[in-house]
Amino acid sequence: MFLGIDIGSSSSKAVIINAQLKILGKAVFNTGAGTQGPEKAVGAAFREAGISGEKIKFSVVTGYGRMTYDKADKQITEITCHARGAAHMIPSARTVIDIGGQDAKVIRLDKDGKVENFVMNEKCAAGTGRFLEVMARILDCSIGNLSSLSENASEEIIISNTCTVFAESEVISQLSSGAKRENVAQGAHKAVAKRVAGLGSRIGLAPDVVMTGGVALNKGVVAALEKETGQKITVVENPQIIGAIGAALYAWETASKLS
Amino acid sequence: MDKNISSKQILNDMISRHYKEALEAKKSGERVAWATSIVPQELLETMDIKVVYPENHAAVLGARKDAPAFLRNAENNGYSNDLCSYARVNIGYANLKESAAGNIPMPDFIFCCNNICNTVIKWYENLAREMRIPMILIDTPFNHTFDVPGHSVKYIREQFNHAIGQLEQITGKKFDHDRFKEVMKISAETARWWKKATALAAAQPSPFNGFDLFNYMAVIVCMRGKQEGLDLFKLWAEELQGKIDRGEGPWKDQPEKYRVMWDGIACWPHLADTSKILRKNGINLITSTYPDSWTIVYDSDDLDAMARAYSSNYANRNLAYGAGNIVQIVKDFSLDGIIYHSNRSCKLMDFRQYEVQRQVQEQTGVASVIFDGDQTDPGAFSLAQYETRIQALMEMMEQRRNERLSRR
Amino acid sequence: MNRIEKIISALEETANHPAKAVKASMKETGKKAVGCFPYYTPDEIIYAAGLLPVGLWGGQTDIKLADKYLQSFCCSIMRINVEQGMKGMYDFLSAVIIPAYCDTLKCICDNWHVAVPQTYLIPMVYPQHRKIAAGVAYLIDEYKRVQKELETIAGKKITEKDLEDSIALYEDYRETMRHFTAIVSRYSKTLNAKTRHLIIKAAYFMDKRLYAIKIKELMEELKRLPEEKLDGIKVVVTGILAETDALLDAFVQNKIVFVADDLAHESRQFRTSVRSEGTALERLAYRIADHDGCSLLYDEEKKHGQLLIDLVRENHADGVVVCMMKFCNPEEFDYPIYKKELEVAGIPMLYLEIEQKMDSAEQIRTRIQSFAEMIK
Repeated sequence: MFLGIDIGSSSSKAVIINAQLKILGKAVFNTGAGTQGPEKAVGAAFREAGISGEKIKFSVVTGYGRMTYDKADKQITEITCHARGAAHMIPSARTVIDIGGQDAKVIRLDKDGKVENFVMNEKCAAGTGRFLEVMARILDCSIGNLSSLSENASEEIIISNTCTVFAESEVISQLSSGAKRENVAQGAHKAVAKRVAGLGSRIGLAPDVVMTGGVALNKGVVAALEKETGQKITVVENPQIIGAIGAALYAWETASKLS
Repeated sequence: MDKNISSKQILNDMISRHYKEALEAKKSGERVAWATSIVPQELLETMDIKVVYPENHAAVLGARKDAPAFLRNAENNGYSNDLCSYARVNIGYANLKESAAGNIPMPDFIFCCNNICNTVIKWYENLAREMRIPMILIDTPFNHTFDVPGHSVKYIREQFNHAIGQLEQITGKKFDHDRFKEVMKISAETARWWKKATALAAAQPSPFNGFDLFNYMAVIVCMRGKQEGLDLFKLWAEELQGKIDRGEGPWKDQPEKYRVMWDGIACWPHLADTSKILRKNGINLITSTYPDSWTIVYDSDDLDAMARAYSSNYANRNLAYGAGNIVQIVKDFSLDGIIYHSNRSCKLMDFRQYEVQRQVQEQTGVASVIFDGDQTDPGAFSLAQYETRIQALMEMMEQRRNERLSRR
Repeated sequence: MNRIEKIISALEETANHPAKAVKASMKETGKKAVGCFPYYTPDEIIYAAGLLPVGLWGGQTDIKLADKYLQSFCCSIMRINVEQGMKGMYDFLSAVIIPAYCDTLKCICDNWHVAVPQTYLIPMVYPQHRKIAAGVAYLIDEYKRVQKELETIAGKKITEKDLEDSIALYEDYRETMRHFTAIVSRYSKTLNAKTRHLIIKAAYFMDKRLYAIKIKELMEELKRLPEEKLDGIKVVVTGILAETDALLDAFVQNKIVFVADDLAHESRQFRTSVRSEGTALERLAYRIADHDGCSLLYDEEKKHGQLLIDLVRENHADGVVVCMMKFCNPEEFDYPIYKKELEVAGIPMLYLEIEQKMDSAEQIRTRIQSFAEMIK
């Protein structure tokens, strides 16, 4: 059995696979690096797989919190893991878009599903999950409900500031001058989509374009991204655990090479 | 030179002496100049004027973690955080005049050449105005053509004469043209040896130890026209050749796994962190666009060639040259990867970096990564982001190497 | 609508719809158009070639494509110009001239070749050492090089007489504009901050000969009106440009009148005349040599602050409004120096950081209102 752990800035994910690369257990916990989240996710994955820790031959940790997690055998970046996980799930994938809590990335894959090139956001949080969190907080809704809120948008609102801090005050002033929450939610999605589309233009978005990461569950962002990029975007099943799947696949591969 | 002393020791000694002598000269009433890093220092050296380089000083303050106080002072005086942090540190220093990390004398005049950027013109204008001191400018028009056009050469050469006139007026001394020829000869020779030494990094494994380049750079900036600068690079080249002959790599405790170049200026406040993470991954930084920046080579006596050489710094040349130059470096140094520093201070480097990266990628297929940072402002850098990007770079390099090996 | 309203509304229409206006001008004059990037270009030579110089100072386009080339900390005018170029919005131009005044412009020049290959680029470099003989000679050589390019586009040789005629026409335009900006304080309601801006901006999208005629007509008409009592605040505005609508509306709402400006987009274009002696190209080169107080041109004496102080005194202004274009390094470097000088001179100052595209100007509105309340 092989374990992949993905410790993000706002959530922890764990996946257990067997030698046939079948997923036996998976778990997502909504607390990330520096908390009990990773332990809880790993524990839940074990319970789902119905196995204990000794059965794990090899484990790989990835994500923002990978450096400080010392219980795995190896650590690999989320860039490499998301690429691997996405290519495994959708072999025709040539581009992976992953919007994480701190980082947004666009990864180009070669025909074997290996990382060919990648780009990430500038240092600030524009175009990342953090931006959406801030927007959800201002709109007084949960991050999960942001998408359904935006479905009822009636008018286009543009959030022009790329900086999260400034966007926050911009949105507050729009709300105070009577803008509808639904429209603002849609504007937030559009703002993220624009930044990520810009990122993608730097290396080009070759089809098939696959989206991974928790933000992929937000239909509003995906729709806005499709509109901004003019490309069809496939959301992989269980997008939030793709990094952990990639990590588990690397665990399997490393162990096979070792034996 | 004492053969038992290493070039690194001499280097450190030379730099501290460089600053000490400048301070002493000022105290004894000599004139001191401040100058930009790739200025035609031949003119100043000929006049025997003590020169200090604010960019080098700002880098020192940055590396010794003393920049924030000066950055704050500049900000309090109305300087936007968006401006070059070398300029902000130096302008802050010109106000406060005291740093625990090392001091420089205040200038009697300043000497500026915009072959590195137009930002230095604005920075030096402000210094001239605030201190009410004369400013000498050598304007090297940006080369949007691949080579330096003829009318630019003529314009630059005539500015050398104009600058000589200003120098004579400032110092009250005659410019000695024979001495000038001598200095030109030494300067070009020092530049040749700098290039020669830095080119030795191409050996496999490389005798370079990570950030060597950034250390020795201080001498090519500050002492290009001096015999001791020339001697240092000869010694360094000798040491490096010795390491190559003995088959020694960069580190005693680990092999050189990957070879990369660094595009742009170092992140001085995070020098240790940025270098440690590379070393941890077995990545050796062996070159950058710097070796060519100070390869100011020309025949002595040929002012046109000197004008052309000063205008030919890569920052002053077009994108086709910049990308082609890196493609050549990738080949010459057998690189596995490139680290591009998107340096908040340097718009001239930044706003071409995306396209340069694409063109180099297309022509060489070499793995590369861009990270955000700044040369002296510690706030523009995130260690976690840097680490992830470097590790991802390493993973790409590893995978490409595995593919190469499996094809064999 | 009376005659004044008609003239003004036509000019506002032009300023608000540049592409439409330029295409109309091309049709009206039968000329091809050449795009001119900030900040100074040899418009007289373009005009002498029988071409129409058109100003390209950004716009209101959303940034999407330009992210391929430029980081987010690039000034908004340049990001928008690249975006518009990539979107094909400049395809109807025969060429663009990009002068490398600042580090950003150098990069834009380089990127343009790959980002907007369909729009022919004439790069240019103005000398920074513009006052010494070598600098003047260099600029003349640059002019000659650009002149050849323009002759190819126009399909005709430019004679000395063509150049002299063009210079005379531009001198007339510049003089007209100096008169125009000088009468603003007498007609401060009709020529409020926004209207004044749009009238000046319209010049970028029209044939200068026809434009100057319109401005003269407008001034004739205005002279027939009784002067309007100025009951607001008089300011001198400095910076690269003063846009957007929201910003200008805030000035109007708070009765802030621009009695003079030092904007690169406005008065810096026409406050300096050519010299009367020399060949046509020498006269043009000396105009750049004589032009002072601009952050884009080397000036070790830093006359920018004194220029602002003089503008305030001559126009009895109440203060200075700084429209700081975000990420514009040359302007940001000048600011600390003139700020200090204005403070010593006891001149109140309002500092606004602007981007060309600001959908929300709430904070700026608050600051403008507070400034107005402070001065009153």
